[in-house]
Amino acid sequence: MDALTGAYDYVLANSERFWDALRVHVTISLSALLIALVVCVPLGIACAKKQWLSVPVMATFNALRVIPSLAILVLILPIMGTGFAPALVALTLLACPPILVNTYLGFRSIDSFVLESASGMGMSQGRILRRIEFPLAAPLMIAGIKTAVVEVVASATLAAFIGGGGLGTFIINGLSMYKFSILLVGAIPVAMLAIASEIVFAVIERRTTKFQRV
Amino acid sequence: MKKSTGILSLIVVIMMVLSACGSNKGGSSDKPKLKIGSKNFTESLILGEMYSLALEHAGYKVERKLNLGGTLVAHEALKSGDIDMYPEYTGTGLINVLESAPKSDAKEVYDEVAKGYKEKFNLIWLEPTNANDSQGLVTTKKIAEKYNLYKISDLPKVAPELNMAAVPEFEEREDGLKGLNAFYGKSDFKSIKLFDYGIKYRVILKGEADVTVGFTTDGDLTNPDLVLLEDDKKFWPPYFVAPVIRGETLDKDPNIAAVLNAVSAKLDNATVQALNADVDINKKEYADVAKEFLEKQGLLK
Repeated sequence: MDALTGAYDYVLANSERFWDALRVHVTISLSALLIALVVCVPLGIACAKKQWLSVPVMATFNALRVIPSLAILVLILPIMGTGFAPALVALTLLACPPILVNTYLGFRSIDSFVLESASGMGMSQGRILRRIEFPLAAPLMIAGIKTAVVEVVASATLAAFIGGGGLGTFIINGLSMYKFSILLVGAIPVAMLAIASEIVFAVIERRTTKFQRV
Repeated sequence: MKKSTGILSLIVVIMMVLSACGSNKGGSSDKPKLKIGSKNFTESLILGEMYSLALEHAGYKVERKLNLGGTLVAHEALKSGDIDMYPEYTGTGLINVLESAPKSDAKEVYDEVAKGYKEKFNLIWLEPTNANDSQGLVTTKKIAEKYNLYKISDLPKVAPELNMAAVPEFEEREDGLKGLNAFYGKSDFKSIKLFDYGIKYRVILKGEADVTVGFTTDGDLTNPDLVLLEDDKKFWPPYFVAPVIRGETLDKDPNIAAVLNAVSAKLDNATVQALNADVDINKKEYADVAKEFLEKQGLLK
């Protein structure tokens, strides 16, 4: 309890630093997620349509996922230096596999007779993609994005090791000083961000699955 | 299903074999098993490894728990008995653990810390080394020339144009930025970002920041492109490094002190800086550096 009030006092005394760290944390997480979406959704669809693509692409991204994010930060340090950019790369790589795999599975799991009848009704390829395939694949895709966003928000704390800022700064300082109040200033908002994004995507998930739930 | 049980049993077998190796290795000896800690930066790792090697050589069983998170993580581990000893700095003990007012006399600081630790925690400070690893602020030659910045007292007026690369603890410690601002006047840096210890000099040499926190025995400070700002008003207390050990451990076997004191006697500023440079600049393993040094000093055969 002392630690909680201590954390609150700390935020009041250092409000500028706190808000700045929070802003950086959210920015870096959202940017990583957006890049991962832009890259992985089309890639996942391409893999689902062109079977020969799926094995090398999936293998590559799954291999990248095996490397711990902290190691990625160190590996790209000589190329990209320190700060926001390398942290963004590491987080994007973390966000990619769940989005890619779930997009792929979402599109693969659509029954071929659904597509056949759509095409029989005279729908164009683009229209089938937008009106038939996307809505049917959406629940799995969103589940993937949800996984990605929670992982990214939690892992964005690592950015603090290389001057990327964010809430990890307080966690590292709190840990090395053994001061729970400072640690909580970082840890509680990270947990709340993760929970909040979980809720947001759960709502989106409900909306997109209205047909499945009838 | 069958495959996964196969893998599972394989893992179990491997774990059993590994743990068997671990427990056999020590052999039978009546000397107590010692758990040695260190903090998470080069110098502390080297010292922790030296203590471990010297004690192993003297016949003790040693378990290394090096690379603990930071000052107070190591301190809590020591208090609770998770480790038996770790290298600590007198100034850090004074200001951050005992939370006393800074002092400048090395002997006074050591005496106060030794007394305070004994009374409060039953922890013993063994004999200190001659290595004073004080903190300092470091900038590059380019920035120093551009702003005529060689003394910390000149920093507050140019700080708004400079980016600060902080290291863990620095922003929060009374002998870090907080105290520095109160003592020298507030340095309102353009930005303050946290970096891990290992990359702080790289960051300022690459121009990604302008000022960072140095430890005066850092090997990198031999680099002529780096300038250590003079602590012209004497803000920092002395930080002589010494092993801190649990009272109970020392009571069981007082001979431990002699082994560690022999190591400490060999260490002074120049030696420690050279050892740090071997790891940070010459990219040797800290364990090899520690071993080579002790062998050269005749403490290991």
